[in-house]
Amino acid sequence: MKELEKLFNRIVQRCNINLRELTHNVTPFVQDIVAPDQMTKFYAFYGITPHHPLNFQFRHSNLSGSYFLGKCQVTNSLLYKSDIRGDELKKKGDLFRYQGFEIPITRDEEIRIEDSLLIKTLVHNYSHDPEMPEKFFIRDTISTHYANIHGSPCGGSFLGPFSTVDLTTMHDCLIGAFSYIQAGEVTHLKINPGTVWVRKPEAFNFLYRYPFERLTPYIRFDAGAQPKGIFIDFMENYKEAFQRIFNVVNIEPSVSIPENASLDRFSVIKPKTRIGENVLVAQRAYLQNAWLGKGANVQENGYIINSRLEGFDITAHGAKIIEADLDKNVFVGFNSFLRGRPESRLNIGRGSIIMPHTIVDIHEPLTIPEGHLVWGLVTDAKDLETHCISLENLSKVKNVLSMGNMVFEGSGADFVWAFRQRIHHILEENGAFFDGNSKEGHAQRNQNISFNTIQPYPKGDKEGLYPTIIIQP
Amino acid sequence: MKYLAKDLMVPIAEYATVSKGATLLESLLALEKAQEEFTRTGYSHRAVLILDKKKRVMGKLSQLDFLRVLEHADEQIDRNNDIGKFGFSPMAIVRHRGKKRGKGVSMGEILSTAANFKVEDFMQSPSEGEYIEEDTPIDTAVHQLTAGLHLSLLVTKGREIVGVLRMADVFAAVFHSMKESESRQ
Repeated sequence: MKELEKLFNRIVQRCNINLRELTHNVTPFVQDIVAPDQMTKFYAFYGITPHHPLNFQFRHSNLSGSYFLGKCQVTNSLLYKSDIRGDELKKKGDLFRYQGFEIPITRDEEIRIEDSLLIKTLVHNYSHDPEMPEKFFIRDTISTHYANIHGSPCGGSFLGPFSTVDLTTMHDCLIGAFSYIQAGEVTHLKINPGTVWVRKPEAFNFLYRYPFERLTPYIRFDAGAQPKGIFIDFMENYKEAFQRIFNVVNIEPSVSIPENASLDRFSVIKPKTRIGENVLVAQRAYLQNAWLGKGANVQENGYIINSRLEGFDITAHGAKIIEADLDKNVFVGFNSFLRGRPESRLNIGRGSIIMPHTIVDIHEPLTIPEGHLVWGLVTDAKDLETHCISLENLSKVKNVLSMGNMVFEGSGADFVWAFRQRIHHILEENGAFFDGNSKEGHAQRNQNISFNTIQPYPKGDKEGLYPTIIIQP
Repeated sequence: MKYLAKDLMVPIAEYATVSKGATLLESLLALEKAQEEFTRTGYSHRAVLILDKKKRVMGKLSQLDFLRVLEHADEQIDRNNDIGKFGFSPMAIVRHRGKKRGKGVSMGEILSTAANFKVEDFMQSPSEGEYIEEDTPIDTAVHQLTAGLHLSLLVTKGREIVGVLRMADVFAAVFHSMKESESRQ
């Protein structure tokens, strides 16, 4: 265990050195965040498919309960129950378009994790950094529970619980709990908890800040304590259901699945669930009495409970949908928490966009009309008035729009267009439009995955460390 | 130009000063007092010097610094008002804050919070280029003011700060010299 402790201290020091300008000491936040015996308890596993280039290299690291797919190297790092999903990495011969540049990709892209601690973190997508298109790096970084590092190379940064960095290169930043950052490139920034920021320079800039006192019941992360709040309690409630699927070697799906749909072997499916054509359900997703229409998808840590998704709906990484009915083409962004009640259901109209990190938590029935954008915290119809705008009206904004804690600047039309493009791209990547011959995506390609497990040294100074493992075709 | 720094400086004894640990309100009162002396000394004051225990100058609070404190107080009352770092234009910041102020934090609250801030938390510590020896010719002072975008320089005699050389006084002297030289031709 000595080696593991040394490694932990080294990672924390490296992160602190990078964050020294922000005068933030991460040590009290992570000192006891994962009990050492937990780091040795769980096996790691990797997937092999005929569709994804294979190259796993693990050195001097702990990988407890983590999952790997695609090309990935992990060195001097601790990964606890994290998903490193490299199924969207660029491939040799691809052309990476960035602003006016067309960058040829000369070798398969790899995820490189060095000197980092990732706890229950999802790493997905590909590097959007034009300076490093073939290397999706994460170094000297600590990320905590249910954070998402999505298409975002990171260096010297700290991510609070339920935070997301999306399509952004990040250096030496501190991202507060439940914050979402999509800004291209950020350096030396301290972001308060509950910040939702989407910026495309020269085009648009969207910012929403949760009132601190209204966010803390949902998520709070203080020095010397574990993260707590409704989000953590929610995840803990369903923990047991996942333990069973990780303990069993062969597991048969409990519902029938169309040939063109994909239900990950490490997802939990409870009774009364219906899976439509071209549906994708990722690992660590949870479905209970869920009706998923054609082309719908549920990403990692997504929960659909007593809800109906009509079709071509996107449940992004970490989003939860409870007691809700979604019409077609609804987008629910990262880590959003949509909770109706059995007698007070939530209805979301066709084509509406729920911004990443939105909370809708209601005790009275609520309808979000079709074609609307929703953000922030909504607990009733009155909240909705200041946290919602029709996409048509937003498209007319040409300079500044300020509503409550939200401020938008730039072209509303560009913002709506960018979202619609991305939604279409996500559906396409996930195979929602597969017609039996073409437009294949994850739903079709991820059906045949072989899983292998790897384990660490069981005792001694190296207890918890995995030996150097290289897995290649 | 025949002037030296010491010819144009405001002597330190006539400048508004407060000690480290003073509040923002106390520094404003010191500035007001110095202004009242204006008719006698002929100097108008736009900044306060902060002195350490040994009466050495450790920093300066300009009018702009005072106004910046108000922004900070606003952010301290509403921790989500620091939107400046997110790449918004000044127009967007002003509009958003104006809209929020109507519903949230009042100017009275901001002023009351700011009044109790400590001066050392907001003062500007002088940089290397902000010192000038008292016998230095004014053309060197012009270079220091323009290169460093400073509004004033601290005039030294050996290791001691003896005065403040203000941009307004340097400008007046340069302008006067130019006029004089042109009229001679």
